[in-house]
Amino acid sequence: MPNARSHMDDRRPVPFRGGGFSPMPVRYAAAIGFAVLLAIWELAVRRGLVSPIFLPAPSTIVAALGDLWRAGTLWQHVSQSLVRLAGGWCLGTAAGLAAGLLMGVWSLGRAVGVPFVSALFPIPKISLLPLLILWLGIGEASKIATIALGVFFPTAIAAYTAIDAVPRNLIRMAQSFGLPAGDVLRKIVLPGALPGILAGFRISTSIALILLVSAEMIGAQYGIGAFVLQAGNLMLTDQLLAGVLLISLLGLMLGAGLGRLERHLLRWR
Amino acid sequence: MIRLSRRAAVAGALAALSAPSVLRAQTLRKTSVGVLRLSSSGPVFIAAERGYWREAGLDVELKFFTAAQQVPVAVTSGDTEFGVTGLTASFFNLAGKGALKIVASQSREAKGFPLVAYMVTNAAYEKGFRSVRDFAGKRVGITTTGSTFHYELGLLAKKYGFDLSAVTLVPLQTLPNMQAAFKGGQVDAILAPVTLARALTADGSGRILAWAGDETPWQLGALFTSPRAIAEKRDVVERFVRGYLRGTSDFNAAFNQRDAAGNEVRGTNFAETIGVVARAVQQAPELVAVGLPFVDALGRLDVGDIYNQIAFWQQAGLVGKDVTGKEIVDLSFVRGHLNVPKN
Repeated sequence: MPNARSHMDDRRPVPFRGGGFSPMPVRYAAAIGFAVLLAIWELAVRRGLVSPIFLPAPSTIVAALGDLWRAGTLWQHVSQSLVRLAGGWCLGTAAGLAAGLLMGVWSLGRAVGVPFVSALFPIPKISLLPLLILWLGIGEASKIATIALGVFFPTAIAAYTAIDAVPRNLIRMAQSFGLPAGDVLRKIVLPGALPGILAGFRISTSIALILLVSAEMIGAQYGIGAFVLQAGNLMLTDQLLAGVLLISLLGLMLGAGLGRLERHLLRWR
Repeated sequence: MIRLSRRAAVAGALAALSAPSVLRAQTLRKTSVGVLRLSSSGPVFIAAERGYWREAGLDVELKFFTAAQQVPVAVTSGDTEFGVTGLTASFFNLAGKGALKIVASQSREAKGFPLVAYMVTNAAYEKGFRSVRDFAGKRVGITTTGSTFHYELGLLAKKYGFDLSAVTLVPLQTLPNMQAAFKGGQVDAILAPVTLARALTADGSGRILAWAGDETPWQLGALFTSPRAIAEKRDVVERFVRGYLRGTSDFNAAFNQRDAAGNEVRGTNFAETIGVVARAVQQAPELVAVGLPFVDALGRLDVGDIYNQIAFWQQAGLVGKDVTGKEIVDLSFVRGHLNVPKN
């Protein structure tokens, strides 16, 4: 804008050519998009264009949720899953942050840690279920461990790369002003790495939700994951999608929560 | 009649009779059947290998699946025309929506045929869990809610009068998970297929209390197709069943023979027939010989048990109340079905 104004002083008006490429919040667009999609879906099933065996109508899915609510088991499923999610995510995140920090600031830690993470990250946690059952039993411990394992690696990688990406000249400047190492870490490195770490949280919460179904494969009687599994096993497709809807609602809520956390923690930007 | 006239159109009736192999290949009706690589699907492998369907004018493609739930889904989606597998709650949910109809039997749990064992851990046994009457209050590992194992426990509960809701059913999804939970003492008992049961007793991690076939005989599996196939191409279904029944008859004659004392006797063509099944299930013949189920020679269903299965799942709230046995079973393809309910 100041540029445009200085051109006006030269009496040679040049139109502002910028614009676009800056996403503006468009109210209600997402809601309307969703509504249109749902309406088409509902109509297609009601008109018999799509068999309800293959794709149950949104109204039947909501009805399945309603049945669950009336039976009183909805809260049982959700609360048990939330406990597992919270436990697993906190454990995995704490360990992942510690490992990422070590890899980020300590050369030996990086030399040892990076190959370890590369070797262990791609292991499908589902394939370890029989071992986890032997080690930790079929109680809550093995379910929380499954989620924690899944959360640990992306968090460690996010923390390590975020610390790595903190501008070196800022660190050098602090050092040349004589800041002690602890202060450099606390006042420069960690705040600088925070955006990257928070982005990692978005990924790790989604992974925790994805692993919920795997975790609840281990002898769970309640839980959204267990509910989805059972519905799939019984070919009750409306209940299956109702469970999936619950998981994505949880994801939406966690995402919104993280958004608020980001705005709060990154005010300094 | 139709077949004959088609063949005549192609080459003339005389030529067809004198050179059947070449000309028949052109008129074979293509169809497909979904199966698991299990010995209980033996009649399918036998019928395919010995050309029984070819002689009935069908070119049948075998499509292999890895879990019992996938087969009814494949028939529903039209990926295969026929399916042969164990009956589960998911089967009745699909069938109840008008997608499937049972036309003949597959294997049956029967006395003297060890297929599924009730196994207890040593620790539970020491604590007094020594009979199939003692299930109440125990933790029992099964694959999934709505599985054949679940129904077998239900039958046991009915027979010995214990309350199934007093048993904690722990769904562990896979056999390896069940094995791990059993060895780690996380459950008191599991229902184990014969191979797993033998392995667990061999390494001393548990005991077999009884076999499901001895305790509670029932109609484990069935041959099914879609109601649309029955309505629109009944002759294909009839010819398919005809070939399949020659398979069940061979299977029964080779594997299901017992002497007066109830001991196993090797039947007609045993070695060759077990070779056919072993190749199809990709296991050593000796291993296959251990877990051979009972298959009715005439493909007859225990219809009363199928009605009972539906009632059991409905009572457990796992199958819709509107599902009825009458709509799911078509009794017209096989003669002399057993235990047919009056209404």
